[in-house]
Amino acid sequence: MTEYSPGLEGVVAAQTAISEVDGANGRLIYRGGYLIEDLAPAVSFEEACYLLWNGELPSKAQLDALRQEMAAARTLKGTTRNVITSLDYDTDPMDVLRTAISAQGAAKTLQKPTVAEAIALTAAMPTIVAAAHRRRHKRDLVEPRAELSHAANLLWMMDGQEPAKERVYWLDQYLVLLADHGLNASTFTARVVASTGSDLTSCVVGAIAALKGPAHGGATYAARTMLDSIGSMDNVEKWLAEAHAKHARFPGFGHRVYRTYDPRAKILREMAKTADPKLHQLAAHTEEVALKILHDAHPERPNATNVDFWASVVLTGAGIPKELFTCIFATSRIAGWTAHVLESLADLRIIRPASQWMGPEPGKKPAPLEKR
Amino acid sequence: MPQEYIPGLEGIVAAQTEISLVDGENGRLVYRGYVIADLAEEISFEEVAHLFWYGSLPSRAQLDGLAAQLSSVRTLTPAAMTALDALPTDSDPMDVLRSVLSVQGVLPHLQKPTIEHAIHATAAMPTILAAFHRRRKGLDFVKPRPDLGHAANYLYMLNGEEAAPELVRALNTYLVLLADHGMNASTFTARVIASTDSDLVSCLVGAIGALKGPAHGGAPSAVMDQLEQIGTAENAEHWMREARMRKERFMGFGHRVYRTYDPRARILKAMCQRLNPKFYALASKVEETALAILHEEHPERPQATNVEFYSAGVLQAIGLPKDFFPPTFAVARVAGWSAHVLEQASHNRLIRPQSEYIGPQPRKPVPLAERG
Repeated sequence: MTEYSPGLEGVVAAQTAISEVDGANGRLIYRGGYLIEDLAPAVSFEEACYLLWNGELPSKAQLDALRQEMAAARTLKGTTRNVITSLDYDTDPMDVLRTAISAQGAAKTLQKPTVAEAIALTAAMPTIVAAAHRRRHKRDLVEPRAELSHAANLLWMMDGQEPAKERVYWLDQYLVLLADHGLNASTFTARVVASTGSDLTSCVVGAIAALKGPAHGGATYAARTMLDSIGSMDNVEKWLAEAHAKHARFPGFGHRVYRTYDPRAKILREMAKTADPKLHQLAAHTEEVALKILHDAHPERPNATNVDFWASVVLTGAGIPKELFTCIFATSRIAGWTAHVLESLADLRIIRPASQWMGPEPGKKPAPLEKR
Repeated sequence: MPQEYIPGLEGIVAAQTEISLVDGENGRLVYRGYVIADLAEEISFEEVAHLFWYGSLPSRAQLDGLAAQLSSVRTLTPAAMTALDALPTDSDPMDVLRSVLSVQGVLPHLQKPTIEHAIHATAAMPTILAAFHRRRKGLDFVKPRPDLGHAANYLYMLNGEEAAPELVRALNTYLVLLADHGMNASTFTARVIASTDSDLVSCLVGAIGALKGPAHGGAPSAVMDQLEQIGTAENAEHWMREARMRKERFMGFGHRVYRTYDPRARILKAMCQRLNPKFYALASKVEETALAILHEEHPERPQATNVEFYSAGVLQAIGLPKDFFPPTFAVARVAGWSAHVLEQASHNRLIRPQSEYIGPQPRKPVPLAERG
């Protein structure tokens, strides 16, 4: 037995062709060998899904077929709708998502995960997220529209009006950029659940549960909250210096894998200029000051801006309220989660690590209840 | 470059724990220092839960306090009750448990896992299952009774009448035996989710998803299926030799950790003999034959009977339907899951292993119009 590896850092828990985070060179590679900076400008989220599930980019005909399948699966089951309305209006949208996906995937018998099921669950995500949003504002739900893209449908069902093209573009790009990222905690959760032979819904529910954690999917929300709290350009230095003095972490900075600037952050930073110029200005100054403080404190550490920081600005520009950021992250990452589960089926082996015993020497005898 | 890929993370120490030790070499299962054989038929499930959560067996006053707390939160929230009513009555009970617990555990805002949350979830699980069972049979829901213990309440709510003391004792022993078992796949799932700072219910919902897999909690139902196919003790040898020719696995045999007879299986076997003689007559013959065949094939392997094999007979004797075996396993294991989550949260580090990229080297995407 090996030594305890806290956080399993450096331990290789899977072989995968879905994506590669090449931290040393600051590269993210998607299935098929595409660098994220080449792929993002060239494809829509639906194409990225097709690529992650099937290993190749779709032809026009294949893409049209996928769009149709997704359109057909966007409407929620009546039971799922009732489960959503059973929840209080102010329920955390991630709890709504976890519950509604669990209900949407409830079945009579255990099914092996399939691409068809991955399509169905992925398609249902914007409908659930929009429903959670509308219910928070006590408004009626809006039905999906078959002719709209995945990203456009999400905005349409949230707002009940046709979204501007630019907003759809920013959201779609975000969805492509976040669709997969190696063996992060939620993807790893999905693979552990899959390793028992469980169904795809259980894997996705587990992944949503993991993404809910502030140390994982919550970082985009935290970054936006920090920018809100800084508030204005002239407050940046003061706010960050005070936070640093209190040993607070800056959300949106640092990553366990990248040793250079996160390539997704680079793309989002550029997009943020047009998506929300005013917030971009504040964020750019915040980034500059934060990096300087972090570098002064730890010159040896590669303290780069991560994807959450700039995602928070682009999503704001796309008109997404920050309470939904983690749900939108899930709406993107489900493509990767399901692709990883499908990949793992080829050589399924239960993931059952060991633990190191730190408790008392075995063999102490229990005292009878009345003598304790 | 990180280390080599470790399939199934076998032998990798992913956590340090004081909750349970699976001592495979010596065939011992240890709960916080107590060997399972010393606890199983001596103490109640509530006492084990106290041992896990608080670190010690309870005094009489502590036990009464815990029992009162469990009693006060056995009832489902109105939202959970509505969600339960919304799900199709032919749903897999594991899907119902996953979905309804996801509602029952909703908190007003993200909270760190606490013992109170653990009590809340543990208390609610039998109520969810019993309510679903009554509903699918077209029977009225039976309210929990404050004067009954955990095991007795489960059977009372299922059947609408108090169960025989002998059956309550048997269920209690089953719950004690299955309450924890080292770093199994569902417990590990719960810890991975906890490592993102997510909430307790998210960890539990993920763990239920993992337990659903046939390679994990689904096994006792599969044992029952196989025994039904074999039919009679006389038919065992013939059926089983033919099954091996078809490369079928014998359900309920083999374990990655134990090198000797599983101590829980030994206790359950004796209970089976007492409570379910008909099952025992067939099962013991099947066991004998299976072990002989497995030994012929792999004399070097320690092919012992595992806990699932005789669990099936005990749960059947208690009167549970076959599709309630996996969720009843969850009713027991929630004590361990929640204790592990509390332990993980107390000295947390994000669990984020590495993957090994086995896809193609970087290449450029072909524009949509030019794809074949």
